[in-house]
Amino acid sequence: MFNLPIEGEELFALEFGDIVNYFSLYTTTLFLFATAFIIIAIIARPERQTDIVFGTDAVYTKEINQDNLRFQRFMAIACGLATLGAVCSGDLFNFSLFTALIGITNIGIVAGVNNRYVLNAAYNYGIVAMVATTFLFGGASMALGTCGTLSIWELAGKGLVPLAAKMFLVLGVMGEGMAPFYIAKAEITRAPGAPYVLMIHVSSLLIFLRVIEIILTV
Amino acid sequence: MIRHIGKGFRIFSNWMSTYENLVAVYAALGIVVTICGILMVPMLSYHEDQIYSKTMNRTSTLDPYDRGGVPFTMAEIKAQYPDNSPTAGYVTTYLTPFSWFLANTTPYFGTTIVAHPGGIIDEILYNTRGLDTVVETSILFTAFAIASFLFRRKD
Repeated sequence: MFNLPIEGEELFALEFGDIVNYFSLYTTTLFLFATAFIIIAIIARPERQTDIVFGTDAVYTKEINQDNLRFQRFMAIACGLATLGAVCSGDLFNFSLFTALIGITNIGIVAGVNNRYVLNAAYNYGIVAMVATTFLFGGASMALGTCGTLSIWELAGKGLVPLAAKMFLVLGVMGEGMAPFYIAKAEITRAPGAPYVLMIHVSSLLIFLRVIEIILTV
Repeated sequence: MIRHIGKGFRIFSNWMSTYENLVAVYAALGIVVTICGILMVPMLSYHEDQIYSKTMNRTSTLDPYDRGGVPFTMAEIKAQYPDNSPTAGYVTTYLTPFSWFLANTTPYFGTTIVAHPGGIIDEILYNTRGLDTVVETSILFTAFAIASFLFRRKD
């Protein structure tokens, strides 16, 4: 697996029974990136958006109340931890589970916002995230049926996983992370509370990079 | 002609920019991919040597919960990496001695509420694929946390 061009050299392997997480040069980079953003979410206070009333000197700042802030921060950290799990997972089904967890925590981050438009966008996004689990787990189960195993270590470099399963996996990750569907995200990121809302982008970017690595490897 | 195409494109891009249509866009993509997947079904082959195999024994008194293996003895568990699960095979079932007695003497154990699902699958779930179980419950708890937050918020 580690002599494939995308992966880089092997650094560390973490065993959980049949699920063996691996840290190659590629996944370690993603892992460190996610770790940095978790630390930012822990230490940073949320930004306060400022609106200027046109034609006057009036300026008003959007305050975030303490309850919403706590919940958003908790969900942002949970999302970061799920991303950590997803980027280093060495098993297709385990990767799918972590990706589903990312989709749910993404909804949780925007659930702590009081803006009606943001919540409407989050509702639509939530439906997509739920539908996407079908493709995600469908892809993993097709890989299991046609190859007899789920471990990326066993499947790497053999090209056994059928194209249909790879397409399902990518579509599932697209739905969970909303990577190309920024029309809803633009609405979501209107939400105040910058470091927490940014976690949505970071997690979707990282799992998209990871699923590309997986489908090129297996 | 070009004006008509431009107008149509404007209407389409306007439609795309409305977030209420997001589900429809994803559904369209999903339909395309599903049709491709269905067309590729003849190319798929079932791998006979499954690592997580499942058998149904309709004549068993534990049906539909019988997943193979004999309780209170060591079972043969296929693991991808046997070195990482040294205790695999030793916790083969969650049947109590009393429920095992019920299963042996009556044919109704699988239909009762005292049925304890157990056997090979649980061994696989809790022993060789433990991390999956942890993530599954995390998903459940996160969903509960969001639901309770939304239920209790005041505005």
